[in-house]
Amino acid sequence: MFNYYIKVAWISILRHWGLSLLMICAIGLGIGATMTTVTVNYLMSANPIPHKSEQLFYVQLDSWDVNDPFDEGQNPPDQMTFIDSTNLMKAKKAFRQNVQAQAFAVIEPSDPEILPLIVSGRANSADFFAMFDVPFIYGSGWSSSADDNKEQVVVLNKETNDKLYGGENSVGKSIKIDGNMFKIVGVIDTWEPKPRFYDITTGAFNDSEEIFVPFNLIAEEKITRSGNNSCWKPFGDGFKAYLASECIWTQFWVELKTEQDKQAYLAFLNAYVEEQKQFGRFERPMDNRLSNVMQWLENQEVVADDAKMMMAMAIMFLVVCLLNTVGLLLAKFLGKAPEIGLRQALGASKATLFCQYLIESACIGLAGGILGLFLAFLGLIGIEKLYGENMQGLATLDGNMMVLSIVVSLVATLIAGIYPTWRACKVQPAHQLKCQ
Amino acid sequence: MLVMKNINKIFQTEDIQTHALRDFNLTVNEGDFLSVTGPSGSGKTTFLNIAGLLETYTNGDFLLDGKDVGSLNDNGRSKMRNEKIGFVFQSFNLIPDLNLFDNVDVPLRYRGFNAKERKERIEANLERVGLASRMKHLPSQLSGGQQQRVAIARALATDPRFLLADEPTGNLDSEMAKGVMSLLEEINQQGTTIIMVTHDAELAQRATRTIQVKDGRVSELEIVSAQAIA
Repeated sequence: MFNYYIKVAWISILRHWGLSLLMICAIGLGIGATMTTVTVNYLMSANPIPHKSEQLFYVQLDSWDVNDPFDEGQNPPDQMTFIDSTNLMKAKKAFRQNVQAQAFAVIEPSDPEILPLIVSGRANSADFFAMFDVPFIYGSGWSSSADDNKEQVVVLNKETNDKLYGGENSVGKSIKIDGNMFKIVGVIDTWEPKPRFYDITTGAFNDSEEIFVPFNLIAEEKITRSGNNSCWKPFGDGFKAYLASECIWTQFWVELKTEQDKQAYLAFLNAYVEEQKQFGRFERPMDNRLSNVMQWLENQEVVADDAKMMMAMAIMFLVVCLLNTVGLLLAKFLGKAPEIGLRQALGASKATLFCQYLIESACIGLAGGILGLFLAFLGLIGIEKLYGENMQGLATLDGNMMVLSIVVSLVATLIAGIYPTWRACKVQPAHQLKCQ
Repeated sequence: MLVMKNINKIFQTEDIQTHALRDFNLTVNEGDFLSVTGPSGSGKTTFLNIAGLLETYTNGDFLLDGKDVGSLNDNGRSKMRNEKIGFVFQSFNLIPDLNLFDNVDVPLRYRGFNAKERKERIEANLERVGLASRMKHLPSQLSGGQQQRVAIARALATDPRFLLADEPTGNLDSEMAKGVMSLLEEINQQGTTIIMVTHDAELAQRATRTIQVKDGRVSELEIVSAQAIA
């Protein structure tokens, strides 16, 4: 019977194409608007490293001014001082640990035909690559000993390697960065986690960097740091005074395998802060935090409030579209009352007719869903054009969202179709047959 | 066999009670061709609707082929309607969106026949009413008489025991009406019990039995001889 219901629905849709088209457009518009905003929210709030997001923790210590708390005392500072991050690195109390900061550099290619490149960089520890599962095409990250020995090594991203070496294996070659020679130890494959969870202080949806160098080279002034910097206490002149200051500009991540490890590390942090208090630092009450990836993204409100508001409004718009669809379905099905009466006379039960007309609603919903998918696709292109680079990579419909669009459309239309179908099936066949 | 004993049907609105049938008693035997006459509002159509299980009755007993109709739920009534009863209406009641093949197919779908059997039955019944060559046409492409023939083909497709016809010639001119009437007689001679509501006394005379309904009661019963029909 299912095939028969589909056939009858198709004939009915074609026969009443004007009314059907209105319904399909109403559902399509509602689904299009909703799925556009839902997609943006979904991708913004997606887990960028699902298999280990529970084991990666962002570390926060409250080293801020006792008289003027950071974030009005709601949260500890979102970055860490150089002193604290290097101290925590030296302690090596976690399974893996990574201190990092944003950097920028100028690459002077050996090929005189290629102009110098200004590249975005990340100064990080050796564990960065293993912690965040960075994929490599050639070579690998550097070793911990390279960190300790402040070796001038570099990892290039695929795009930079393509530009400088035509995509060939460049591992082992030397490259001049900011006037210093660096040895290439690895080339990473395309890697664009969205959100870029490992550093959201400089934009949660920015691209990942073009080169990666050891963090310790910042102190050696072999590489120039960039990114956000906040200070609450004056410091003396010179770069060394800056490194020893209470300015926050580093990010610190640890990988902890179990809850016990997490508790142990928190205890270690508390002990560390207690120790630092003896030196006159950390005057604020103890508030050390370990946030896993999703907690950190939520804490930093990666999904903006206006995006949530847009989604809520789009869902309300969908509801309005569905209410319109209820009215149109009601008009269509009540217009078919004589046919419904006749079908009852010919042996259709109310349940059979209910199924038949609900399937007709579903067919309209399916068509509306497909139209909505197309409109969502256009909507996402519009959002990308409106917000520019920040939305690149977010404004795409993945398979999950496509399936969701169709499912939402079908379910919404079926719900919208229940009342009109129920009303239509309540017609008295005797009355309808006599009235024709 | 159709047996109605003391059937009452009361239509109730907020202020008014209307007795459409009062202690209605009737037995229709296998193979009867019963015509039902009576003035407008006498209860003829109400009787036909109750007989066709399209409407419930207020009280009384109604047995259709020995089965107590009052005990059936919607599914049971639908099944019985599909298996035992065929309908022919004054205004044909074909589904305008469907071609003749698909119109005749409707009751067969609800019966659950497979595709092969449905096709055979549709073709055979359209052949029987002389419209096999037009099975892909829409109802709007046919004359009134042809549409009524399709409605008869649809009614017969499930091999019903009873054919209920409500003014089957009411919308046809006299020539077409004669043709449809001849077809009904032929169907009756082949064993189908026919109950036909009509205003037309001449047509009523062609049935083997005639009853008159007045004020919701069977007020007159007349047996017409087979010779009179001829």
